[in-house]
Amino acid sequence: MKIFNAEHIPAAQKVLQRIALIAAVFIFVISAFFILNYIQLKANPPLKSPALEKLYVQLDADPNNAELREQIRALDLLARKAYFTRQWQVNFGGYMLLAALVILLLAIKSISSMTIKYPELPKTTGTSWEVRLMTQKWVGLAGIILLVSVSALALLTRREMKTAAFAQPPAPPAAVVDFKIPEAADIESNWPCFRGPWGLGIAHYDNVPQRWDGASGENIIWKSPIPAPGFNSPIYWNGKIFTSGADATIRKVYCYDAQTGNLLWQRDVTSIPGSPTESIKVADDTGYAAPTMTTDGNFVFAIFANGDLVCFDFNGNTVWANNLGAPDNHYGHSSSLIIHRDLLLIQYDHSAQAGLLLALRANTGEQVWEAPREMGLSWSSPILVNTGSRWEVILSANPNVISYNPETGEELWRVECLGGEVGSSPVYADGFVYAANDGAKLAAIKLGATPEIVWEFNDDLPDAASLLATKDYVFVPTSYGAMSCLDAKSGEKYWLHDFDSGFYASPVLVGDNVYIMDMDGVMQIFKADKEFTLVSSASLGEAATTIPVVMDNRLYIRGSENLYCIGEK
Amino acid sequence: MKKQFIILCFLFALSVEFTFAVEQRFPRPDFESGYVQPEPTSPAARAAAWQYIDIAVLILTLSLSSWLVLQRRSRNLIFTLMLFSLWYFGFHRQGCICPVGSIQNVVAALFDPAYAIPVTVVVFFIVPLIFTLFFGRTFCAAVCPLGALQDAVIVKPQKIPAWLNQVLGLIPYLYLGFAILYAATGAAFLVCRFDPFVGFFRFGFNEGMFIFSIIIILIGMFIARPYCRFLCPYGVLLKWLSMLSKKHATITPNECIQCHLCADSCPFEAIQIPTPDKYPGDTTRTRRQLYLLLALTPLIVLISAWSFSNLSVLLSREHYIVQLAEQIRLEDSGQATSITDASKAFRGAGATTQELYLQAAQVQRQFKTGSWLLGAFIALVFMMKLIYLQFWRRRTDYEPDRANCFSCGRCYAACPKEHERLRELQGVLYSEDI
Repeated sequence: MKIFNAEHIPAAQKVLQRIALIAAVFIFVISAFFILNYIQLKANPPLKSPALEKLYVQLDADPNNAELREQIRALDLLARKAYFTRQWQVNFGGYMLLAALVILLLAIKSISSMTIKYPELPKTTGTSWEVRLMTQKWVGLAGIILLVSVSALALLTRREMKTAAFAQPPAPPAAVVDFKIPEAADIESNWPCFRGPWGLGIAHYDNVPQRWDGASGENIIWKSPIPAPGFNSPIYWNGKIFTSGADATIRKVYCYDAQTGNLLWQRDVTSIPGSPTESIKVADDTGYAAPTMTTDGNFVFAIFANGDLVCFDFNGNTVWANNLGAPDNHYGHSSSLIIHRDLLLIQYDHSAQAGLLLALRANTGEQVWEAPREMGLSWSSPILVNTGSRWEVILSANPNVISYNPETGEELWRVECLGGEVGSSPVYADGFVYAANDGAKLAAIKLGATPEIVWEFNDDLPDAASLLATKDYVFVPTSYGAMSCLDAKSGEKYWLHDFDSGFYASPVLVGDNVYIMDMDGVMQIFKADKEFTLVSSASLGEAATTIPVVMDNRLYIRGSENLYCIGEK
Repeated sequence: MKKQFIILCFLFALSVEFTFAVEQRFPRPDFESGYVQPEPTSPAARAAAWQYIDIAVLILTLSLSSWLVLQRRSRNLIFTLMLFSLWYFGFHRQGCICPVGSIQNVVAALFDPAYAIPVTVVVFFIVPLIFTLFFGRTFCAAVCPLGALQDAVIVKPQKIPAWLNQVLGLIPYLYLGFAILYAATGAAFLVCRFDPFVGFFRFGFNEGMFIFSIIIILIGMFIARPYCRFLCPYGVLLKWLSMLSKKHATITPNECIQCHLCADSCPFEAIQIPTPDKYPGDTTRTRRQLYLLLALTPLIVLISAWSFSNLSVLLSREHYIVQLAEQIRLEDSGQATSITDASKAFRGAGATTQELYLQAAQVQRQFKTGSWLLGAFIALVFMMKLIYLQFWRRRTDYEPDRANCFSCGRCYAACPKEHERLRELQGVLYSEDI
């Protein structure tokens, strides 16, 4: 659309020129004001008023002088008002300036577009060939200059850069430890793995508190933050508590002083040979550090969702580390580690039809044996059972409960009784192995020459928590809060109690009582008896899905954020 | 005289922006007054609806720009759209996220699994590239706020020697290489840090950036769009895609009549002139040079990669972990002149020095690999340029240089055939519309 006819163009240009001139003068004036303002601000910072400074000095000498305080407040308020008024002026002025700039620009462009410019013949000199030759020459020259400069700088600074580099320290020398295979008494007096000694959920101390409250601090001896998240439970050995934490990018192992809660050391698990470079995908309620660590009193061992397996001595020196291959596990690897004598046993049912039970030499990490497990994925943990005649390591998965010789990996027996996604670990008491999972059944397997199922239970079954078995009873927790008590020998149901919150954590027998943490961080304590008797409900004050470490007059519990020590104060 | 006065005013106006930089935060009162200091909060993320609007505006402006460049062929309308983009993507959205900077987000997301990249950023990165692949650099023409600001301040564009134009045109490759290295290692977003225009969009500068911005704007008055031509890392990707683009802006609407009138019409020197009919050089010599360059390329690439890798420790000093580790090392060895807030925070956090050094070593290893690749890339760019120059392409017409043409439409008016077209369309001698 044409705004001006040709004869009107000179007049319009004249108007636009005047607009441009007025806008330019306006910009000049405002800019001058702004520069003056800047100089003034630099010269007299608003709170560096000499009067105010003087009053501050007086106040230092006479801090209780109320009148002086009022004077300072009044002056301070005045300075603030002046400051904010000026700030508003600056902002407003800035927008006016911007508007003037736009007007100026539009005026200039309009004048320019009204000026008829006749095309001109090119002033460009030189042919495309000459340009090409020159370009070749100068690109080559620029490249050479750059290369020589960088190379010279690299050579000149090489020594300095070597000094400045943070070299990866050489792998610490293999820790020198008086290696000792732990005795049964050592294991019973500590808490070396998931669910305590041999993974059976039976505590060897019963003098621990039944009441505490994280919010008020009742019976909380100490609590220490755990920086990285993890659903694993702590382990304990001779005054030290170990736990691990990880997210998509970091993997950590922590060691705390059981007496004080001080973090004695923490180690990053990095640069593990074969560790996948990309983060593994896991479910939020499994996380990257679900498996509980284990210890034999000489070393501590940790495994993470990406298959990184690491062994530290008690001072945090790396003894060995390896990656078992990224597990093909849609929730994330969660089977905990366990030690038999000097063998670290790893249930690695990480892929359908490609699971493994591995035994590694604890002090070197070398593989001693492996037992292939052609069955489905599982998330349960192995237990160690002394049947009186031999040691067995027993594992649950879909569809079998299988027992192996922990020394050789030889399969001793298997019973088909499970199905679906098996997260619940087997338990053992008085010649019976009990295994269950939601969607299948609870099977009581009587050991003997030919282990066989003697009774089954099909009502409320666990999907993540494990059973607790004693000589007389089997306790069956569920993720929706139902807890059943069955007769250990016949399967008769004594009682069913519905708790308000569900259970992912597994129960532990402490004396005559069962301790189990619900998902709200409340420890439900009830009698291990035919009748349901609630002893206590003790709140941690934060969510928790872990198993307590039960030691002499002490409980150590990992919450979602902190590690707690609980004891009678 | 008037023009000089106007330029002077403009410079004054720029200096005004500086005043915003000195707006210091007002310190809190020194003594108890019962006043409760509000808890610091993080600004809320841009509302999802606005993000979709941003994407829609981007796609609309790109579509409109492509249409204006290829079909409507209207410089005035391109300029108007450019002003809108300058307001919307520049002042309204405060220059973020812009496709130029989005390279770094994309690289960071590729190298750091924990880095979450919003869909908007991915769209802002990819969509202009797709449009360029089909229509040439229509993003540069009227959508990029950085380009728009520079375009708006062109006062009297001067030509620079063609060879210098070509040599300076290699700088964006270097900048892109460094930007990727620093984003991939998590050290810095260099393109954002040295964005000379974002200060204008946000009314705030630091002193160094203010000087840099003023220099770029001053140069831009006489050397048109210096940032786009000699710095923009995103422009490298756009160049590559524009060379392959299905359609591209043309100087003439139909045929070139060899009138030579358009030759000087491009302030960006992106018009390629016709070549002689016959190859003017010595074919044998050229072939020999080509073989030599091809043979030398692996060696040069290796030397460059080695040289850059030896500077990796120096380059890694931009990374905050390395900076902290160096500070801690200086403090622990008694050589530090002062203690920094970062070192105080580190010591208060309970992590060990050994762990910090391990992290710093890890960063430096990343830089070592990255610097090798950077060195190789830069050498490859120079060698490929030299090799490219060995090839002779015969050209009979005046054509836009597809790699470097911003599709701004300034050349339309220089073409008599364009005037003929408009005459036919509108029945006027000189159109207001070109």
